[in-house]
Amino acid sequence: MSVTMQDHWYPVALASGLRRSARDTLLLGRAIRVALDDGGAPVVTAEGRALPVQVKFGHVWTTLGVPAGDVFDIPEADQPGRRLVEVGSVKVRCSPLRAVENFLDIAHFPFVHTDVLGSEPHTEVERYEVEIRDDVDEVWATKVKFFQPQAARSAQGGITTEYMYRVPGPTCSVLYKTCPPRPGEWDVITLFVQPLTETTCEVWPWMALFDDDSTMTEMIHFQQLIFLQDRSILENQLPALLPLDPGREIPTRADMLSIAYRRWLKRHGYTFGAQLVAA
Amino acid sequence: MILYDYVLSPSCYKVRLLASLLGTGLDLRPVDFHPGAEHHGPEFRALNPAGTIPVLTDARLVLTESGAILTYLAAVKAPEWLGHDDPAMQARVANWLAFSQRLTASAGGARLHDMLGFSGDIDTLRAQATDALRELEAAIHARRRRGGIFLAADRPTIADIACFPYAALAPDGGVSLDPYPSIRLWMRAIRALPGFIEMPGIHRLHEQMPEPGPMPDVVRKESA
Amino acid sequence: MSSNWTPVALSQDVLPGMAIPAHLQDQDLVVWRSATGRIAAWHDRCPHRGMRLSHGFVRGEFLSCIYHGWRYGEDGQCRKIPAHPELAPPAAIKVPRFAVCESAGVVWVAPEGETSEPVDLPGFRGFRSVAVNAAADQVARDVAGQGHLGGCDVVMLVQPLPGGDCGLHVLVADGCADAQLDALSHAIEALRRRLEQGVAA
Repeated sequence: MSVTMQDHWYPVALASGLRRSARDTLLLGRAIRVALDDGGAPVVTAEGRALPVQVKFGHVWTTLGVPAGDVFDIPEADQPGRRLVEVGSVKVRCSPLRAVENFLDIAHFPFVHTDVLGSEPHTEVERYEVEIRDDVDEVWATKVKFFQPQAARSAQGGITTEYMYRVPGPTCSVLYKTCPPRPGEWDVITLFVQPLTETTCEVWPWMALFDDDSTMTEMIHFQQLIFLQDRSILENQLPALLPLDPGREIPTRADMLSIAYRRWLKRHGYTFGAQLVAA
Repeated sequence: MILYDYVLSPSCYKVRLLASLLGTGLDLRPVDFHPGAEHHGPEFRALNPAGTIPVLTDARLVLTESGAILTYLAAVKAPEWLGHDDPAMQARVANWLAFSQRLTASAGGARLHDMLGFSGDIDTLRAQATDALRELEAAIHARRRRGGIFLAADRPTIADIACFPYAALAPDGGVSLDPYPSIRLWMRAIRALPGFIEMPGIHRLHEQMPEPGPMPDVVRKESA
Repeated sequence: MSSNWTPVALSQDVLPGMAIPAHLQDQDLVVWRSATGRIAAWHDRCPHRGMRLSHGFVRGEFLSCIYHGWRYGEDGQCRKIPAHPELAPPAAIKVPRFAVCESAGVVWVAPEGETSEPVDLPGFRGFRSVAVNAAADQVARDVAGQGHLGGCDVVMLVQPLPGGDCGLHVLVADGCADAQLDALSHAIEALRRRLEQGVAA
């Protein structure tokens, strides 16, 4: 039986943010309720039916279907010495798939994250490698390099940063990034997207960083600053749905990862938030 | 001066923006507003019982309202920004500082609802924001008819800084700025001021940068 | 109106170096003016990733998308892709354009290829544009033939907007004093309140 979007795990709350009062929200257009049971464990229900629950990366995950396995792993995040940063959530009026695609994009850094993640004239995106890893059924991009004025809270001055991107689920992405204070290690920055409807989502960034200097609040604020700069872009793309058919939008070589992501979505029929036939 | 600050707070941004326009530094203390709700904690409440940001402290002085903070910052660093040339101008500035609270409550309330999931009657908040924006639009149009663009004087004052962030971020709460040509020109004039800084949702004027030439050689070699 | 031209903005509201959002029926437009004053009306969508070009920025005679900085010349043709600075953008990357012209202080737009001229309104200039939360045909009926408002000679142009609202572009006869124009502005607000109450009732 093929795996549908219904069968994937999605983040629906921060475990540390759950209170006695229930959180009513949406998942793939369905009303769900996230609450704590009498023992303090998170429970998720849809129309009274209990849904599977896992707690991972500080978040409560659930699914409406039959999951093929557990929530994906991020082995690097378990390395000692990392600080785990719960950034919280932001709602965006855009397709959950557009939110992920934007996270996979570097060419916008000089224009949307000016003087932080990029700056003119350092706009060139060099060739990088993209593959769909069939063994794990994930989209990967490696050897992505970009010049950044301030790559992280802990970065001093401009550096050429190397990235790897990984898409382990239709609305989740993991970014591995050169770690300024620890050459040879990778910072882990994720974007977990809760699909509310086809054109609205709630975005839960989470990070596992080597940074001994910044306070937790400073690291949260840095990532909120970055993501909120993207929000005004995401709410102004036309159409709101992500077009999966070629021709509606024109990519270039810098968009190889976006092209692979769209192909992977289409191949699997992950079309909640997608536009299939050009309007 | 110490500013208890949150990067996504338009009210905190008012203070950072004015400080930058005046070329003066602030000692920033980030407050974990979201998701940590640090502003509701006992330590922060000891500083500001209302549990709101921004808070500005200067020695023993503690200020908890953005209008008062702007007033103090301007009075200390650049009194011409107070707009105290004559009684009418002074009163106009006071009027806009008070008006800015309506933008905060309406457009700001809609933004917190749409962005961070705060509770609120979204239709009412948006309708109130529209009312406030229409008033702002009419007032700026009246200034334009007399060759001006800023709210209270022929130069920017703290009145403009008080109203700018929540007006500019109205789309965050689902309130379009498309129907307000005079507000657009006024926002552009503010964004063009020397020392202007942006916040998420408010882009800088890229048009002020020259179109760049080729990438510098040193970077090309480094990344090759 | 018999004309094929739709009023979408007042010239005074689009300064050199500015891009603004506008509408032609249900089409989203970007109207922008180059540094030397050339006006243009395009589909409000970058062909790359669908971003609204009205959020973009004007440098000289070019409009750039805010998202990835793709840069377009006055013919709508993509001239530069910053991610690939040495690439000559393919001719296929082009933003659809609309016919545009300015007269009586109004920016008029029509489908591309329009050969007629918009209505001539000698002696009038653009005063204020406001959005009205009421249907265009209803507002047009209401203001039809009304040549005076707030003590001024005016022309009122009604523009349909998506979502059932409309734009009201008010032109005023040359030579009105400041006090008269203040009264006109108040009268426009009062007219809008009356039109919108008509909807609520």
